[in-house]
Amino acid sequence: MRKSGSADFVYIISDALSSLKESKGTTALTSLTLGFSLAIFSLFVFVISNLNGVMEGWGEKTQIVVYVKDNVSSAEAMKDSIMKVAGVRGAEFVSKEKALSELKGALKGYEGILEGVDANPLPASFEIKVLEENNSPEGIAKVVGELKARDWAEDVQYSREWVEKLSAFIKFIQLAAIAMGVFLGAATLFIISNTIRLAVYARKDEIEIMKLVGASDMYVKVPFVLEGLIQGLFGGLLAMCILAVGRYAVLSEIPAYLRFAVEMPFSTVLFLAFLTGAGMLMGVAGSLISMNRFLKV
Amino acid sequence: MIQMFHVSKSYEGGVPALADITLKIGKGEFLFITGPSGAGKSTLLKIMFGSEPPTQGQLILDGRNYIKIPQPELPALRRRIGFVFQDFKLLPNKSVFDNVALSLKVMGIPPSDVKRRVARMLTYVKLQHRANFKPLQLSGGEQQRVAIARAMVKDPAIILADEPTGNLDPELSVQIIELFKEVNSRGTTVVIATHDKALIEKYARRTIALEGGRLVNA
Repeated sequence: MRKSGSADFVYIISDALSSLKESKGTTALTSLTLGFSLAIFSLFVFVISNLNGVMEGWGEKTQIVVYVKDNVSSAEAMKDSIMKVAGVRGAEFVSKEKALSELKGALKGYEGILEGVDANPLPASFEIKVLEENNSPEGIAKVVGELKARDWAEDVQYSREWVEKLSAFIKFIQLAAIAMGVFLGAATLFIISNTIRLAVYARKDEIEIMKLVGASDMYVKVPFVLEGLIQGLFGGLLAMCILAVGRYAVLSEIPAYLRFAVEMPFSTVLFLAFLTGAGMLMGVAGSLISMNRFLKV
Repeated sequence: MIQMFHVSKSYEGGVPALADITLKIGKGEFLFITGPSGAGKSTLLKIMFGSEPPTQGQLILDGRNYIKIPQPELPALRRRIGFVFQDFKLLPNKSVFDNVALSLKVMGIPPSDVKRRVARMLTYVKLQHRANFKPLQLSGGEQQRVAIARAMVKDPAIILADEPTGNLDPELSVQIIELFKEVNSRGTTVVIATHDKALIEKYARRTIALEGGRLVNA
C-alpha cells in the first residue's frame, strides 16, 4: 500500500507549514507569552549579575593599613616584604608628607588646627588590597597577622566589622538571588508550559482525527515541533527587543550610579543565542510533552 | 476477516457496554449491526477499529491478534480500515479535498495519485463542486458524504460505518447504502451500524442485533 517515503516527507513538511499558517493567532499569542516571560527572567539575571559585580567592587575596596616606624627600612624594601605575604594583591605607599597633605586637604577651612605643629607627626603607611580569594574575615585576619609580625610595622588597622558585615550581606544577597531565581524560573516555566498546553489542547481533535485516519506519531508531531520552534524563535527575538528597548529607555532616565542594573554583564552574542535557544527548546519540549497524551488514540 | 471471541467492555465505574460477544465476519461480507441507542453498536465498531481496547476477550483481524499489536503498528493497520464516524470527525480548517486527501497522504501516496483519486472519489459521492469548501459550509448530509469519501478513497480492506445514514433523508440514505454495496461488490468487507429498520429490511443482508451490550441474534 505504501508508495513513497519521499512523499511522506513532502506531506509532513507541507502540512506543517499550512497548519502554521492556519494557527497564526495561537502562534503569535504563544510567542508573546514566551517573549515577555523570557524578558522578565533575563531582566532578573541582569540585575543580579550586575549587583554581584558591584558588591565585588565594594569588597575590593577593603583595605588594610600598615603604619610604619620612622627610619627603619626603605619604602621599596617594605613593599617587597608586604608583597611576599600570601593573599596580598597590591600595596600603595603613603609617605609622611603625603599623609600630611591629605590631612590638610581633609581639614580645609580648619587649617588653624595644625598651626604650631612643626614636625610632621603622621607616620608613613601602606594601603594594602587583598586578593579576591582572601577577601573573607578569616583571609584578611591571616594577612593582618603576618603583617603585624614585620619589625618595621608600628600598627596594622583594618575594619573588621565592615569586612564581616559586607561578607554577610553579600552571602544574604546571593542566597536571596538564588531563591528568587528558582521562584521566577519556575513561574516562567509554568506560564510558558501552560500557554503551550492550552494551544495544543485547542487542537486535540485534530490530533485525534489524524491518528484515526492512520497517521503515524511522527506525521502528527512534526507540525507541532515546527510550530514550537518558530514560537520559541519569535519569543526569544521578542525578549531581546524588549530588553534592548527597555535598557535604552531606562539608561536615559536613571542616574549614573544606578546604571549597573541594566548593563549587559556578559557577551551579548552569547546571551542572545542563549535566549533564542532557550525559547526554541521550551517551544519544542512544551509542544511534545503536551501532545503526547493525545497521541494514544 | 474479523473474529471476536468473548469480547466484553466495561467503562470506568464498571458500567458494562458489551458482554461476551463472539462473532465472525467473513472476507467480503456485508453486515448490519442493529439495536436501540446505547445497545453497544458504536463500542463494538470502535473495538473492531482498535480505538477502544476490550476489557476482556480476543479480536483477530485479518489473521492478526489485534489485542497484541504494539502501539507503533496501529497506524499501518488503520490504513487498511475505513471508518465512517457518527460525528464525521472532519478537520474544520481543511477543505473537503484536503479532508479526503488526508487518508492517502498519511499512507505516503504520491501527490499526483492523491489528486486523481480524491477527485474521482468526490465525483463518486457527488461532491466535486464542493471540493474547496470547508466542512462547516456544508449541510449534514454533505459532511456525511465527505466522511464516507475519506473512508473509501484508500480502497480499504474493511469499511466500518457508524450510523452513516443518520443525518440523511430516505432518498439519500439509499444512495449512500448503494455506494457501500458497490464497494462491497469489489471485495471490501462492509460493517454498518444502524437503527434504521427500513433500510435493513430493504437490503436483506446478514444482520446482528445488540441489546444492552449483548448479542441477541448472530
